[in-house]
Amino acid sequence: MNAIIEMKNLNKFYGSHHVLKDIDLSVSRGEVVVVVGASGSGKSTLIRCVNGLEMYQNGSLLVDGYPMPVEEDRRLGGERELAAIRKGVGMVFQQFNLFPHKTVVENITIAPMRVHRKTRREAEATALKLLERVGLEAHAHKYPGQLSGGQQQRVAIARSLAMEPHLMLFDEPTSALDPEMIGEVLDVMRELAADGMTMMIVTHEMGFAREVADRIVYIDQGSILEIGKPDAFFDNPENDRARSFLARVLKH
Amino acid sequence: MIARFLKWSRHNLFGKPFDILLSLTVIPGFLWLAYQVAAWTVTTARWEIIPESLRILMIGIFPAEQAWRAWVAIMIIAALLGAALGCVFAFRKRHAAGLLLVLAAVIALTGSKDLTNALLTASTIAIFASGCAAISLIPLLRRALLPAGFIALIAIFAVMSPPGAGLWGGLLLSILLTLVTSIVSLPVGILLAFGRRSRFSSMRWICMGYIEVMRSVPLIMVVYWIWILMPVLAPQFGLADVVRGMIGFTLFYSAYVAEYVRSGLQAVPREQTEAARSLGMSEFDINRSIVLPQALRVAVPPLVGNVLDIFNTAPLVFIIGLTDFLRAGQMILANPQYGDRTYEVYAFLFLTYFLVGSLITFVARRLETHLARGNR
Ligand SMILES: Nc1ncnc2c1ncn2[C@@H]1O[C@H](COP(=O)(O)OP(=O)(O)OP(=O)(O)O)[C@@H](O)[C@H]1O
Ligand SMILES: [Mg+2]
Repeated sequence: MNAIIEMKNLNKFYGSHHVLKDIDLSVSRGEVVVVVGASGSGKSTLIRCVNGLEMYQNGSLLVDGYPMPVEEDRRLGGERELAAIRKGVGMVFQQFNLFPHKTVVENITIAPMRVHRKTRREAEATALKLLERVGLEAHAHKYPGQLSGGQQQRVAIARSLAMEPHLMLFDEPTSALDPEMIGEVLDVMRELAADGMTMMIVTHEMGFAREVADRIVYIDQGSILEIGKPDAFFDNPENDRARSFLARVLKH
Repeated sequence: MIARFLKWSRHNLFGKPFDILLSLTVIPGFLWLAYQVAAWTVTTARWEIIPESLRILMIGIFPAEQAWRAWVAIMIIAALLGAALGCVFAFRKRHAAGLLLVLAAVIALTGSKDLTNALLTASTIAIFASGCAAISLIPLLRRALLPAGFIALIAIFAVMSPPGAGLWGGLLLSILLTLVTSIVSLPVGILLAFGRRSRFSSMRWICMGYIEVMRSVPLIMVVYWIWILMPVLAPQFGLADVVRGMIGFTLFYSAYVAEYVRSGLQAVPREQTEAARSLGMSEFDINRSIVLPQALRVAVPPLVGNVLDIFNTAPLVFIIGLTDFLRAGQMILANPQYGDRTYEVYAFLFLTYFLVGSLITFVARRLETHLARGNR
């Protein structure tokens, strides 16, 4: 009952390409789960299923108490649950995906105003508070193109938080950043985790993963091969593939 | 100065053998032509015909005592155009100088004895400038531009209709046709473009079919068909020829607008939609506030070019018996008294079309650089 995400036997195909295979995974409220795995193993696909950006073909997926409709139902227009789910789930992308034609504040206020019907004043007050929280209050009226990558990503996090999500998804939030900017984004995420936000994170930052994760999920070729506590996973992985994966990524 | 010109010409005109050959044939030919034209303009040509028939050229056979209606329409148009330009260009002093130049040209044309026309022109220009200034100073007004455009169209129709829409003509008709077509085809084209990527395949097919059919037949055909079909399809309305012409133009150009908007839509990355979806926004809100504004940035320069296309094809309405600018010129020449002034009249037509055309092209260019800068 305390689970915010519950995947059972979830399968996803791109045509005949079987991308996610019998995924069983549940995430409890307040938990930070980090998904790791080689490139092309299906991490993005997995995390994007949670807010319905990707459709799955069979199995079941419960998010925040709502059943996510399978592909067939969505084609028939079962989008009501989808909207309800998305209101409570935030997502941060590798490429930030800020709206370039809107200022930082507008980026943050548009969804609360349109979806939660907040007034502009309310929404802007929240936006400024969030910007303060990510340390960008001075940039409120700039356009995304005028900010550095790290700043843009922090705005993107603030934009998601403005919807007061119960769950945050992060898909490689630091992979597009210059090394000197990774820290500022990870700091914001650390704070979020400390505040008790439920988070599902795909990342290649293994040190960060070990530090913030409650559990690590290792995925390879579309299957979850290992789920465990960070210390156990990093020091003593049970699965052979996980071991060689770690050997490869930790060498650098 | 002269030395610099010589140096420049050695590089650009006489650099290579082929350049020399080209320059030696083209430059004298051009000079000869320019001399001929200039000589004709100042000696042979008898220009009084232009001021004398200016009213016909401008408003066709619209009754002279009702000309105030035309002036009101022109002023509304001026306010609208000013506002549209003010969205992009900040109003500067040199723009004011340009407007004074236009005023001087109009006074020269109408003859200085007719002060009313000069005054009316001056107020039109003032309205244009204040529309431009108002919008560039108060950005919030921009949101109201498209609705204001529609209201302006209705107002123009209301003020111009009483003497009978059959009397509309001249440059004013060309401009009205261009304006109505540009404004109405914009939302229609946007809807078509979105319909073309709808989730529902029937919708997709209908929109695509419409766009493809319109794009593969000549405009004149569509205009004529609508003209003969309207009385059959909607006999109770008894639509005037002008309105039927505008409907034909709008139906035709909406397909082109849809194509320009579609290329704009394709330029918006999928990730923008995904980000908006992940925030829980509805598909309608996403399309309206995230996708469309970014698509229009890409589509605006070709859309302005489309306005020029509409203006330049306006003479085709002669097929349904309307008297646009070009036709008004021919009408004057049909008068035996003026039969030998062909060159004067056509020179004036040419110059006007050329000026309007280059103005629109210039605006499109500036828009392009402006938007490119805005994108960062
Ligand atoms: N739109 C698509 N159509 C077809 N196949 C796809 C599509 N998107 C992803 N795939 C395939 O699905 C598999 C999983 O892709 P996914 O993007 O989830 O991997 P990933 O683990 O996120 O990799 P990376 O670390 O490179 O981001 C890959 O084999 C990929 O080729
Ligand atoms: Mg990925």
